Amino acid sequence: MSKVRTVGWFEQEAQILNATKAARKAGLKVVDVYTPYAVHGLDEAMGLKPSKLTWVCLLAALGGGGGMFSLMLYTSAIAWPLNVGGKPFVSAPAFIPVTFEAAVLSAALMSVFAFFVRSKLFPGKKVVPLERVTDDRFALELLAEPEQARHFLQAQGAVVVQEVP
Amino acid sequence: MTSAGKTAKTQMVALLMAGLGLGGLVVAMLKEPLWGYTNFLVCAFFFVTLAAGGLVLLALNTVAKAGWHIVLKRVFEGYAALLPMGALLILLTLVNLLSGSGSIYEWARPGVMDHDSPLYDHLLHEKVAYLNTPFYITRMLVALALWLLFSFRLRRLSLAQDKDNLLERTHQSVRWSTGFLVCFALTFSMASFDWIMGLEAHWFSTVFGMYNIAGLLSSSVAAIVLTCILLSKAGLLPEFRIPHVHDLAKLLFAFCTFWAYLWFCQFMLIWYGNLPEETIYFVRRWHGGWQPIFYLNFALNWVLPFFLLLPRPLKRNPNYVAMVALLVLLGRWVDIYLMVTPYNFSSPPIGWVEVSALLGFVGLFVFCLQRKFRKVPLISKNDPYLQESLNLH
Repeated sequence: MSKVRTVGWFEQEAQILNATKAARKAGLKVVDVYTPYAVHGLDEAMGLKPSKLTWVCLLAALGGGGGMFSLMLYTSAIAWPLNVGGKPFVSAPAFIPVTFEAAVLSAALMSVFAFFVRSKLFPGKKVVPLERVTDDRFALELLAEPEQARHFLQAQGAVVVQEVP
Repeated sequence: MTSAGKTAKTQMVALLMAGLGLGGLVVAMLKEPLWGYTNFLVCAFFFVTLAAGGLVLLALNTVAKAGWHIVLKRVFEGYAALLPMGALLILLTLVNLLSGSGSIYEWARPGVMDHDSPLYDHLLHEKVAYLNTPFYITRMLVALALWLLFSFRLRRLSLAQDKDNLLERTHQSVRWSTGFLVCFALTFSMASFDWIMGLEAHWFSTVFGMYNIAGLLSSSVAAIVLTCILLSKAGLLPEFRIPHVHDLAKLLFAFCTFWAYLWFCQFMLIWYGNLPEETIYFVRRWHGGWQPIFYLNFALNWVLPFFLLLPRPLKRNPNYVAMVALLVLLGRWVDIYLMVTPYNFSSPPIGWVEVSALLGFVGLFVFCLQRKFRKVPLISKNDPYLQESLNLH
């Protein structure tokens, strides 16, 4: 029998944590978990790997900071040497604040954009969310044989179980 | 070996270190007052800021109504309970202040404030309304008395809750903590102006107090994470788990960066403005014999902890975090040493006096801290947030 995606809705935070753990133990594939707020311990229960977004953040910070520092170095010491208050042309302390700001700005913007790209979010995109998961219910989405998934979810205490396309 | 046996052994070693080190330091203070008292001030200030740091972190978390820290609350309190000893050490620096020409504070030396003396210093005399012994002692006593008042109060509330299980104790703690934080920000700024910046009284920096608060925060977090890791290794704090290490490591990372931010604030404005009466502070430290220490300070307090604590898995490794915490503590000593010493010494006089002062004060600190921990249960069992801390994820 082919595998389908089945969603079970739960009413308690503890239930969704236990169900997620049990699903992975039982060899069912957990597609995703939807909760109205961030549930602590869910990342471990789902077996999520550490996010790669932090690498984007680090590289963007180094790139933004390094790029800005080089730009200032080039403009005020090489292209058109500027004498400011008799200080050396290459005055690193004076460049630090802008370097810092550029690093923070590019790290923040690049992280957000990388997140949008990775989760395929863009303006105008229409997504129909699962019912009540932004309100008061916790949903577990499994990819498994429908009968097995239905039994498993009901045994874990799901109040509604539904197959989704 | 049982944990009681281990404790007794540590106590012995600490006492031995304290005896040897402080003995050496006393000899130094008698034979080489300037050198000896400089080191005494460095270590006494380090001691009192660590003790006050415990109270500051406790108050910060209490005011924020945080729950994560409750399993280490008694460690914060143990640090805060060292305040009487810290206050005593700071009071002992008065012996040097009042000793006249041997004083490490130039403004307190005889003749400096006297028009007819060859030592007369006009700029210092302009500040005589603030820099005079009676007012200085009054300020010191007021600051220390206030800190002690708040630390006794908060400790009593916490211990009382162990007995009577009243929620009202927590509410009272929040009110006292709020008062303490406001009072401490003002009195500690003043204290660092008086005790440390006063050594170089021609010079001034308005961010100096804030800079010292940043150092206090990073070194206190370092000391507390180190203490907690050692306690849990000895089996005395089984509730202390990896998520707590992780949270403390994040705080350490953040406060080290905060320190670097303020370090740069102070440096940048003085370097950019380039006014002689301000730059002299950095000329003394950035050039000549002090230069390696100047760079070492920045490396130990920010560059190393920042990059060492970036990866997440490493922040969850207790042994590794303990090593970084040790680096930061060493960095804090270097930082204070670099603030205190250069005015009276044109190059770092590092030698046996520094070694014995550090040895003695580390021994004294560990000895006193361990006594505080043995007095009370290490978990405040009736704290309403305890469950949250036990389940910390």
